Amino acid sequence: MGKRTNGVATATALGLVALAGCAVGGGDEGGDGSGGEVTLSLLTFETPNLTAEYWDDIIARTNAEVPGVKIKKLVAPSAEQRNEYVRQLDSTGALPDIMVAIDPAGLAEAGKLTEFSEKELADWVSPTANSFDGEIYQLPTNSQTWQVYYRKADFEKAGISTPPKRWDDLLAAVDKLKAAGITPFVIGGGAPDGLGPRWTFAQLMADEVYAKDPKWLDKLVAGKTDFSDPLFVNAVTKMEALANKDNVDNLSATYAQAQDDFLAGKGAMYPMGSWFPAAPDKAQQKQIGVFPMPTQDGSLVLPVYTGGGLSVSDRAADVARAKKWAIEFSKLNADGGARYDGLFVALKGYKPPAGLPPLYNATLDVYDEAQSSGTVTPSFGNEAGIPALPSGFISKADAALNDLLNGRADPDQFVTTLNEELEELSQ
Amino acid sequence: MTNSVRSRTGTDTAGERSRPGPPHRTPTPSGRTGGPGGHRSRTWSSAGAFAVFVLPTLTLFTAMVLAPILWTLYTGMTDERATRPETSFVALDNYGFLLGDEEFRHSMWNTVVITVIVVLLTNLLGLAIALLLRRQGRLYSLLRGVFFTPVILSAVVVSVIGRSILADDGLLNSTLVSMGVASPPGWLTDPSYAIYSVSGIMVWQMLGFAVVVYLAGLAGIPAELEEAASLDGAGPWQQFRAITWPMLASALTINTVMLMISTFKVYDQIAVLTNGGPGTNGTATVAFEVIRTAFSEQRPGLASAMAGIMLVVVAAASVTTLKLLQRREVDL
Amino acid sequence: MKSRTSWVRPLLAIAVAAVFCLPLYVALVNVFKPSTDVVASPLALPAPPALDNIEHVLSRPDGLFWYGLANSVILTTLTILITTVLAAMSAYHLVRSGRWWSRAVLGVMLAGLMIPPAVIILPITRILDAVGLMHTMPGAVLVDVGYYLPFAVFVFMGFVRSVPRELEEAAAVDGAGRFRTFWQVVFPLLRPASASVLIFLGVWVWNDFLTPLLVLGPGAGNTVTVGIFRSIGPYQQDFGAVFAFMLLATLPVLVFYLALQKHFVRGLTGGATKG
Repeated sequence: MGKRTNGVATATALGLVALAGCAVGGGDEGGDGSGGEVTLSLLTFETPNLTAEYWDDIIARTNAEVPGVKIKKLVAPSAEQRNEYVRQLDSTGALPDIMVAIDPAGLAEAGKLTEFSEKELADWVSPTANSFDGEIYQLPTNSQTWQVYYRKADFEKAGISTPPKRWDDLLAAVDKLKAAGITPFVIGGGAPDGLGPRWTFAQLMADEVYAKDPKWLDKLVAGKTDFSDPLFVNAVTKMEALANKDNVDNLSATYAQAQDDFLAGKGAMYPMGSWFPAAPDKAQQKQIGVFPMPTQDGSLVLPVYTGGGLSVSDRAADVARAKKWAIEFSKLNADGGARYDGLFVALKGYKPPAGLPPLYNATLDVYDEAQSSGTVTPSFGNEAGIPALPSGFISKADAALNDLLNGRADPDQFVTTLNEELEELSQ
Repeated sequence: MTNSVRSRTGTDTAGERSRPGPPHRTPTPSGRTGGPGGHRSRTWSSAGAFAVFVLPTLTLFTAMVLAPILWTLYTGMTDERATRPETSFVALDNYGFLLGDEEFRHSMWNTVVITVIVVLLTNLLGLAIALLLRRQGRLYSLLRGVFFTPVILSAVVVSVIGRSILADDGLLNSTLVSMGVASPPGWLTDPSYAIYSVSGIMVWQMLGFAVVVYLAGLAGIPAELEEAASLDGAGPWQQFRAITWPMLASALTINTVMLMISTFKVYDQIAVLTNGGPGTNGTATVAFEVIRTAFSEQRPGLASAMAGIMLVVVAAASVTTLKLLQRREVDL
Repeated sequence: MKSRTSWVRPLLAIAVAAVFCLPLYVALVNVFKPSTDVVASPLALPAPPALDNIEHVLSRPDGLFWYGLANSVILTTLTILITTVLAAMSAYHLVRSGRWWSRAVLGVMLAGLMIPPAVIILPITRILDAVGLMHTMPGAVLVDVGYYLPFAVFVFMGFVRSVPRELEEAAAVDGAGRFRTFWQVVFPLLRPASASVLIFLGVWVWNDFLTPLLVLGPGAGNTVTVGIFRSIGPYQQDFGAVFAFMLLATLPVLVFYLALQKHFVRGLTGGATKG
């Protein structure tokens, strides 16, 4: 009798252990590498444009080109927090094999990512755009720029005939808009994503800081200057003058809501990245125009970031094939990236497909013009490679900007906060 | 996780009472105390029994709670961070740094604000509603169930509901706009409102627990006491002050301690509602700061020191409160 | 005088409950409305009720709901069963033995009741990683069992004290070993405690967010509660679909709770009735 009880208990225990073995996965269950087949995990994120179906399709097409690879798709809980999420995964020992568009800073220096060779990067326009001491950890697959989108009807109504070029013109335009009862700006930035203000600020910094001193970040990181540098303070002062509460529709709007608000006509100008043209529908495309952020002297200065492609873990199940897959993916994804994510594809000889949104082409024209006859600078918070701001700094800067615009901090406090955060994080 | 300690404290004391034992059998005195009896040496000396009955529990508890605490305390004295291969022992430097760190102090302050609001408001409203529902009948037992429902829901579910209502373009604001309010506040995105919105959502979720505990306390008050007071000519307020409130002392203790412990470790709500914002640490709590520093910023050294401080504060605060309230129970 | 005011209390109680219920009502009715109606008239009743949102969740191509459901069921079932058995056994032994070290063990475990998960989660991931159980279901079960054991032991402790020793002694005279005595005599008498522990842990483990998010990770699939978080996304303005996901994710635990409700509230309120 006692033995029977023990037997039952043991059997139950064994059953439980067996049950425990089967966690139900969210992706394809892969082989173990036998028979030349390897399963690689791929971290993606989803947006209204980049849907689950979109990723599944491009993954299937890439698999067809790279035989023997099975992909286990992982999805970051949110697109904005994917950089935090990938670090969280790394902290728990689960860095994915391949990652889409994550910031390599920190992971690269820690040797967590594998580097791409010159040969592997030969097909791209600026292979060294994202260099960490000469090594490339993220495919330089596309470029993004930052500029101001505006509603043509609002400008007309306020009597602004041409988009402003000089800083003073912009201030005048802001006054005219206000006089006409139109809110000048839509800039998001509310919790929880904290996105928005930096993409306005980066445009002001492009002229005030990076155009005047292309090596400013090197100096900052080396400790030869700090955020109280007059160049930086100028940009902060402009930011406060431009984007204070009086001029902005709703400073606490989230990123998604700000975009909706601008499309719904709640403000005249929307300083945003070049991915925005993928959002307006056909009718809205015609109502919206684009101009580069006005500069002090009216010259054309445009912040640009090139990179944004895939990275491969140094400890991937099969690093060589993971790299091959990542490269193949990037080429196959070019048209989709242009159409659905508004990316400027940085492949040599790439021609965007016909039928892209008019605003995409208008933004691309600004970029082309800046490359040929203007100044192209890094974009604050999206500077690629080394020297790099310490990991985690940008989210603090976003939060501090939010305080600045909401009037919870003045420029002095803002500068002090950034200096403290930088010092703390670089320890 | 917020749920866990919440009700835990309630049941802790459930363990004290021996009622739910086997029906119709009165516990023997020796069984009641479980203290050392004459049988002990005969029945409970063998290491084998210990190995079978206790060792698995002890091993798991040690591996999953004790060892991690020691590990945290040790790591808190190093400068470990993921982006740097070498780690060195820095003794109490992290603690010194944190005590002077604006950001960490801010998260402490946020935690205290949320805790105070949740403890006071939940107790107050919970008592009021319990007094209101202190009647027999179908209606009242149904309403009790209604108030208790959010307690069973996940903090994630409650937060998502809260967010859908309080978001800038959420249901509350769209209602306000349709009523003619031009620019309704950003309940979760305006720094001057966010922490109160978060606290409010937590009060809403925990209220049912406080109601049930107070109702049970009220049920334990002998009817004769209140009737006697009433006959003596005491008005409702005097009666409440003299009889009801003192008799609810242990319900107050349970509610306060469990609300404190579960609010102090709040993470889920912050992650879903505000992600720590708006702005610099608008609503970041210590638990949120620990997780963010450890996993997203990948600085285990500093995060562990924060966790160490958190541990001490939680222990000190809950033990002190418990002692104070228990002394009060005795005095009453 | 009594009759004059007798309608005030029920009316007031209903009014307060109605206000309290508003968020639940909003979440529930909007499950059955198309998204456009959710924004346009959030408070209106769904007429006619639409099941699109439910269908959408159930037929998501990534299977987020179904995988999550399966994982939640496995994690919750295993955790509560193992915890209940281990806690009952150890509480029984520790209480009965009454040695100083038994009291010490109990004391240490009770202190474990108030440990916030944030304090220990990082080392836990390291420990699991070291033994190869990180991002596995057994790993998650071990973490949850370890974390909830103090609570379960605490509940059983009081109940064990109420079991008469005579019964055990009678069993011992009949020649039953300790193990058998416990399973055949003591454990059945602890049924009310077991029920409390099962319900409490069932609700907590099902609703837990942080531990499965970090410990189960993305590779093994995750629980349905983490799935809710995944299904929001900052872009997501489609509340109907999220509410539908939440409703489906909550239903199992709600049914579980309602089925065992009596024990839950009894366990919960035990202490307060002492006063």
